[in-house]
Formats: sequence, structure tokens, C-alpha cells
Amino acid sequence: MKKAKDSRKGVSTTVIVAAIILIIIVVVAALYALQLPPFAKPPFEGIIMGTTDSVESAIDPAQAYDFFGWEIIMNTGSGLVEIEPGSSAAPEDYNPALATSWTTSTDLKTWTFTLRQGVLFEDGTEFNASHVKYSFERNIGIASPDGPQLNMEYDAIIDTVEVVSKYVVKFNLKIPFSPFLGLMACQASYIVNPEYAGGWQTEWSTDDIVWYENGTDARTRNPMDLGPYKLTEWKRVAGKDDRMRLEANPNYWNKAAGLPKTEKIIIEFYADATALRLAIEAGDVDVAFRHITATDIEDLQGDPDLEVWEGTGAAIQYMVFQEDLLTGLPQLDDAKIRRALTAMLDRPDVCDTVFLGQASPLYSMIPTGMMGRPEGVPGPFKVLGDANYTYAKSLLAELGYNEDNKLKIELWYETSGHYPSSPDQAELYKAQFEASNVTEVTLESADWPSYRINRNEGVMHVFLYGWYPDYIDPDNYAFLYWAPWLGHHYTLYNATNNYIAMKAAYDAARASTDETERIDLYDELEDYAVEDCPVVPIWQGAAWAVTKPNIKGVYLDITQTWRIWLLYEEE
Amino acid sequence: MGLRSYIVARILLTIPMIMLLLSIVFLIIRVMPGDPVLLHFEKKASEEAMEAMRQRLGLDKPIHIQYFEYLGGLLHGDLGKSMQDFSSVSDQIFSAFPATLELAIFSTLIAVAIGILLGVRASQSYNSLQDHSIRAFGIAVYAIPIFFLGMIFQLIFAIDFHWLPANGRFPPFLTEPGGLVLYLSKPAGGFVQVFMWAFPAGFVSWAICFVALKRKRIKFWLKGFFVSLLVLLAGWIVYAYLAWHFISVGVLHVSTGLFAIDSLIEGSPLKFVESLRYLFLPSLTLGLVLSGVFIRLTRSNMLETLRLDFVTAAKARGLKETAVVYGYALRNAFLPILTMMGLQFATLLGGAILTETTFSWPGLGRYLVDRINFRDYTAIQGAVVYFALIVAVVNLIVDVLYAYLDPRIRF
Repeated sequence: MKKAKDSRKGVSTTVIVAAIILIIIVVVAALYALQLPPFAKPPFEGIIMGTTDSVESAIDPAQAYDFFGWEIIMNTGSGLVEIEPGSSAAPEDYNPALATSWTTSTDLKTWTFTLRQGVLFEDGTEFNASHVKYSFERNIGIASPDGPQLNMEYDAIIDTVEVVSKYVVKFNLKIPFSPFLGLMACQASYIVNPEYAGGWQTEWSTDDIVWYENGTDARTRNPMDLGPYKLTEWKRVAGKDDRMRLEANPNYWNKAAGLPKTEKIIIEFYADATALRLAIEAGDVDVAFRHITATDIEDLQGDPDLEVWEGTGAAIQYMVFQEDLLTGLPQLDDAKIRRALTAMLDRPDVCDTVFLGQASPLYSMIPTGMMGRPEGVPGPFKVLGDANYTYAKSLLAELGYNEDNKLKIELWYETSGHYPSSPDQAELYKAQFEASNVTEVTLESADWPSYRINRNEGVMHVFLYGWYPDYIDPDNYAFLYWAPWLGHHYTLYNATNNYIAMKAAYDAARASTDETERIDLYDELEDYAVEDCPVVPIWQGAAWAVTKPNIKGVYLDITQTWRIWLLYEEE
Repeated sequence: MGLRSYIVARILLTIPMIMLLLSIVFLIIRVMPGDPVLLHFEKKASEEAMEAMRQRLGLDKPIHIQYFEYLGGLLHGDLGKSMQDFSSVSDQIFSAFPATLELAIFSTLIAVAIGILLGVRASQSYNSLQDHSIRAFGIAVYAIPIFFLGMIFQLIFAIDFHWLPANGRFPPFLTEPGGLVLYLSKPAGGFVQVFMWAFPAGFVSWAICFVALKRKRIKFWLKGFFVSLLVLLAGWIVYAYLAWHFISVGVLHVSTGLFAIDSLIEGSPLKFVESLRYLFLPSLTLGLVLSGVFIRLTRSNMLETLRLDFVTAAKARGLKETAVVYGYALRNAFLPILTMMGLQFATLLGGAILTETTFSWPGLGRYLVDRINFRDYTAIQGAVVYFALIVAVVNLIVDVLYAYLDPRIRF
């Protein structure tokens, strides 16, 4: 009996202890509540943006090559000129920024800029011509293997930067270069603050790149200055971007125009497109940009609590035919094979089924909206047709391929979501090729890091690849016909007549400011490309963003970059 | 073997275990296809650039030298530098660890609470409709894909009702809770804050003493009062010592990295509630899915225990049903549940990849996936060492708890 009594008591003691602990918790909570400010959410005066992007390299114009790094550079820095938001980046769309006016010599080899006066860096130093010289020499001198001097050939274009006077700077070029303003407007040409960029020096190396790890706070983790915003927080968790905070730069040169329109911006990073979609639907963020899937966009278009914005897309996707001999696979070094495969592609089908009409068929490596590629006029690859099986079969028949002896190819795609819906696309291209009855396709895939290595190693037979421009000019697309890292026809056989003629047309277009002449030259260049089909354009994406309905100032134009400083919340 | 020597032996055994794991991982990731050097170049790079990068990553040395260098670093607690971004691997793991730990703690609590309550309930009503329903529930939640359940919760609670946030760990508009910050140069402010936590701590210690000493029939109210005073005093002494010792620093920062706890010790009810709101959906999702295992385990063990003679005897003596079931039977059936708890908790500390991805929870799971994709040798090795340590420590704790729960077990 004694035991029974004890355990009854045991239960009741537990209850007493639990009650006491509960009382303590309540008392402590009450103490806190009494001592501390009232329990209410402080209103956040600003805009919260959500994205699945992240800074892949650094927020340093001498290194950054990724979309989001450039996004932050554009919003925290300034260049000599800017592209009018919402424009198509035609020559008249370049606005003064840190330069107020400019002239060029008739041979297009000298460009002189007069600089804005009274523009201040963070510490009060006045911006002048020496900062321009400094920024470009640093950029070219650092020579990062991924930096703009290689991607965009800064060192092949710019010879010297000369300080003419305090407010006048002169660029002496190695070659005549008509898209120079485009180059000046791109983020790689933004001016850096020497205090955070490695100090005044003339000997540069990759050790001078300002990486996230080099700094201790957001300020020391990037060399930017003079832009509409300052980066005040850049938080990474386990090496992955987690949050950024932008605050208005009190010294911004265009402050008098009421810019930036919103003082504080928070950027939240999400794991994937689904998470981002949920965040905008739940109201956790005000703006969701890059990447929301085609299906989600279509869904959200019907949501009355959200606004879906569509903008011009300058991103393109293309197919590359690798011409090195790969074991067990037919060599794609005959133009007939490549032309046949190109003719089998059905671009409208991809745009409708995979992208639900949110991408448009592309028949030129220079996308619609660029100079010489107006809406409604298909590019030169249109002559090969879509799902043009009769033509394709006749070409392959000449090489002995038929229903009994099918052309075997390996089609590669990436699986990390670097390009939208790659697996779906690949499935569809396989079906399109095989619908000819003379082709047999094996699908192969790799995650993005391995995919990039495979590309450099030249082990992918046929593969999908994409591009979005560095500077807004056909020049920055046409070069894909011989981009050395793609390993296609012209990168291997660069002594053919077609290649020589194409390169001549390309250089001539660079040296001309006459729009008609340039358009003709690009057409001529692409006519050769249609004959050889080294790389083949497939589709051009549109830019999409979803916001709360009261968010205004959204410009999704051909630059592909958000001008965050124009965003505002309507009362 | 006494408990103490058992613990020492276990700790010593952990070392060869980690060494073995580490060596295997070290070798395996080096024979895996993919070269971390190549991943550093967007475009095809020159031989010199590649060689320079190889040198920078320390991969130019022979593999045995790399191995011993890594072990040397490990002895100093250095997990090396990431091959992706050259930052410290320990820093990266520690920056993601609190988020993972917080999620693991809350989801295990939820899983165990649901699992034990329902499991016991099912065993009590063996073969009834209730039993069948609970079993079906257990199987259903265990079988449901975690991301699917997560998305359903997100749709209901975040999208439809706007009650809870869909993703993330903390509201962007608030500064993250920094824990307790004592401004040692301002004794008055610090004094109040010390009181704020020393006093409740005193009460808790008193409550513990009360339970421990209850059988001795000491006047526990009096005792409790003294214990609280002692803890309070101890708190102030520690504070005074720190204030004197670190006066040049001026600030003493105490934080756990667990936002719910840091908000509490920071004294911010707003942040506390916000962190719980963010924590709720991921832990509920993970907790529910894991509860399936605990339901089945508790039920089957309880069924066996409830049949034993001592249960019948206890019932015959007129004890209340709840006292018999929870006080006697459950304690006897608890060992396998505890083992499972330990294993599950250790697994969760390695990062719940799917949950973390579904809820954009910045924990270790996402970190590991990223690093494996990037062939980040040092990060993967670091994560393995960390994970082995966690498993070893959690298992050790479970073993020690065994002895406490079952007095028959001696080491």
C-alpha cells in the first residue's frame, strides 16, 4: 500500500512542479513584457525583394561575370553613361551619368568624356578623371580568368586611358569600336572607390579582387561607390547568400531627381523557384524576380492580389554542335549533318509546350529587339524551317543515314536549374529529332558545375547553352559564333573561307557607326552561319517579375537588370 | 566498468572511428569524377592559370602529403579552407549549424510528443477503431514525401490564411536576435539584465532540487528559497568577475545562434514570437513525418510492456490508469524509443535537406548539397568530421541516459 500511496503522491508532485514551472514562465514573460517596448511589429519603410539568384563571383567589376553580381554593381555603383530605362538601347538611348558629354574621333578609336563635377565618394573625395583611369587600369590589370577583360576583351579594345584634365578623360582604343558607349554603360565599366578596391597602385593581380571573404562587413566586401544605394548588409550563411540590405546613398549624384525612390531595400534569397513563388503569394516579399517558372507565371497571372510584369528578354538559348571526334559517336564535322539537325528543330513547339508561350522562337543569334532584328521579322535561320523533315532527311541521305542506318547523337543538358526547364527542353528536342525516323538520340545530363567542365573539355556531342549580354549590342551576340570556350565548328576550323568572311564582317561592323551598314554586315555574317550551323539559335526568353499591386517603377528592359532605385510603393 | 571509464572509453573509440571515416572520404572524393580546379574557371583557362589555382587549393602536392597536412590542421581544430570560396570550413559549418540545430530540436520535440502520445493511446485501445486510425495515421505521415507535406502547409497557413511565413528563418525587417549583450562598462544596466536571468534560473534550480529531494521531506519551500538566492548570488558574482575581467572589452556577448532562445535572452518577446512563427511550419512538417516512426515504435513496445505482470500488479493495487501507463509501463518501454530519438536527432543534425530546401531554411543540408556539386573536398571532409562527432556525442548521451532510465544497466 505504501508504494501506491507514494506514486499517487509522485504524480501530484509532477503536477505541482509543472505548475510552478509554468508560473515561472508566465512571471518571466510578464516581467519582460513590462520592461520592454510594446509588442508590435515595427513597420518596415522599404521594399523587400525576393530572388533565387545569388552572387556567384564577387561584387567587383574586375571579376563579376554573373547576373546577380552585376545587379548589385549596377545599383551600388555608377558608370560614365547609362541606358534609358525601358528603352531598346539604341544610340540615342544613352544618357549622361558620371560623364555629362562625350565625343568620338571619326576613326572611332578615340573617345573623350567630360565628367560631372561635384560628385562625392563616401569619404567626401571628389570624383575625377583619375578615378576613371584607375578603375579601367585596375580592371584590365587584374586579368582575372573570368573577368571582363577576357570575356569582353577589354584589353583587346582599350589601349590607354588618359587623364586630359581633372574633368576630362580620353580612351585611346586599339581598334575602331562603335559599340563603345554600350561597353561604358555595362557594369564591368563601373567606377570603383580606390579606398576599398586595393588603394592607388599600378601593379595589379588577381589577389586584388575584392571577394566576400576579404572583408569583415558589407562595406569592405565590395569596392563600389557613387551609385544610388550603399550595400549595408551582405549576409551569407554557410557560403550562400542569405540577405542583403541596400540603403540610399546620401552622396548620389542624381539625388536631386528624387532618386533612389525608396530609401531602404532588403533582398531575400530563396532556395528555388517554388519557395520564391510561395514567398510572394504569402506576402513575405513585395517583389519576386528571377526565376519563377513558366507554369507559376501562368498561375499567378490570374491572382488579383499580385501583378505580373513581362519585359523584353535579352537571354537566348542555343544548341552547340561539338565537332571533335568523340568515341563511339559520329563526328559532326560535315555541315550537312548540322544543317539537317537544325532543320529538325521545332522552335514554336518548344516555346508553346515547355514555356507556355512565354518564350519566342529565335532564328538569329542576335535576338529580337536588337538593332536590325525588329519584331515580326524572323532571322536568317528561318530558311531552314521548323520540323523540316523532308529537307533534313534528304541531307542525311546524301551521307548514307536512313531508317536502317540512323544518325546517332548524344544530347546534353544541365540539371541544376541554371537554364530554365532544361530537362523538359531536352526531352522535347529528342522527340523532335527522332520524329524524323533517321536520328537516334541519347540524352545525357550533368549538374551545372560539371556541365561547364564538360564544355571546356569538349566532351559533349550536342549540347544546350545560353547567353545574356554583357553590353547591349549585336556585337556581344555575334561573337558567339567563335567564342573559344564552346568548341564548335569555327573554334576548331578557323581558316575556312566562311570563317574568314564572317570575321571580316564582324570587324567591319565594329568599325562602323552607320546603322544600316552594321545591320547588313550582321546579316551577311549570319548567312554564312546558316550554311555552317556551328551554333543554332532556339529561343529567346522574356523577363518576368511578380510584385504586389502597389509596387511601381518596374522596368524589365533589354539590359536585363533591375533599376532598383526606380522602384517605389504607391500609397 | 564504471560509467566514467565507459565514457572515457567511448570517447577514445570515437577517434579511430573518425580517422577511418575521414580517410575513406578523403580517398573517395579524390577519385570521384570532377576536378575542383576546373570549377573555378568560367571559360577554358590557360595551363598556368590552372596550375596557379591548383597550387592555391593545395592540390599540387602528392596525395599523402595532402592527407597528413589535413590531419595536422585537424589536430589544431582547423577544418581547412573551402575550395569554392577559400573561407574557413569551420566558420561555414558553424554559421549553418544553429539553424539546423534549432530545426532539429523543435522537430524532434514535436515528433516525440505526437509519437508517444498517439503510440500510447493506440496501445491502450488495442485493436479498436482508435488503434487502427492511429496506425493508419502513423503510416500515412511516414510515407508522405516531406516536401509535399511542407508545400501543403505552406499553401494553407501561408498563402490562404496568411498566418505564418512561407519561407525563411527570420523576418527581414527585424535585426536578428543577438542574444544577451551585457554592457559591462555600465554596471547598472547589466545588473538588471543579470537579475532577469539569474532569478528565473534560481527558480528552475530550486524546482529541480525540489523534485530530487522530495522524498527526504525537507522543508522544500525554505530550501528552494535558499537555492534561488544562491543562484542569484552566483549570477552576480560571475557578472562582477566578468565585469572586472573584461572591462576593457566593454561588451559581453552571450548567444546560442538559436533565434528562439537568443530572442528570449535578449529579452525581446516580439523576436521570440517571430522566430517561433518562422520555425513552426518546418518543424511541424519534419516533426509530423518523423512522428510516424515513434508512433509505431511506442505502440509495439507498449503493447508488450502492458502485458507484463508488474503492470497488472500495479493496476490491481488500484493505481490510476495514467499513473500505470505513463509512470510505469512507458518508462519500461522507453529504451528503444530513446535509441530511435538519438539516431533521428543525430541524422537531423546532419541537415534535413528536403525540409531546408522547401522552407529556404539556411541550414547544413543545403550547404552539403551545394558543396558536393562543387567538389569542395575540404568542405565535404569537414562536414563528415562534424557529422561523425555529432553521431558519436549523441550516441554517448543516449547510452548515459540508458543507465539513468534503467537502473539494471551498468557499464
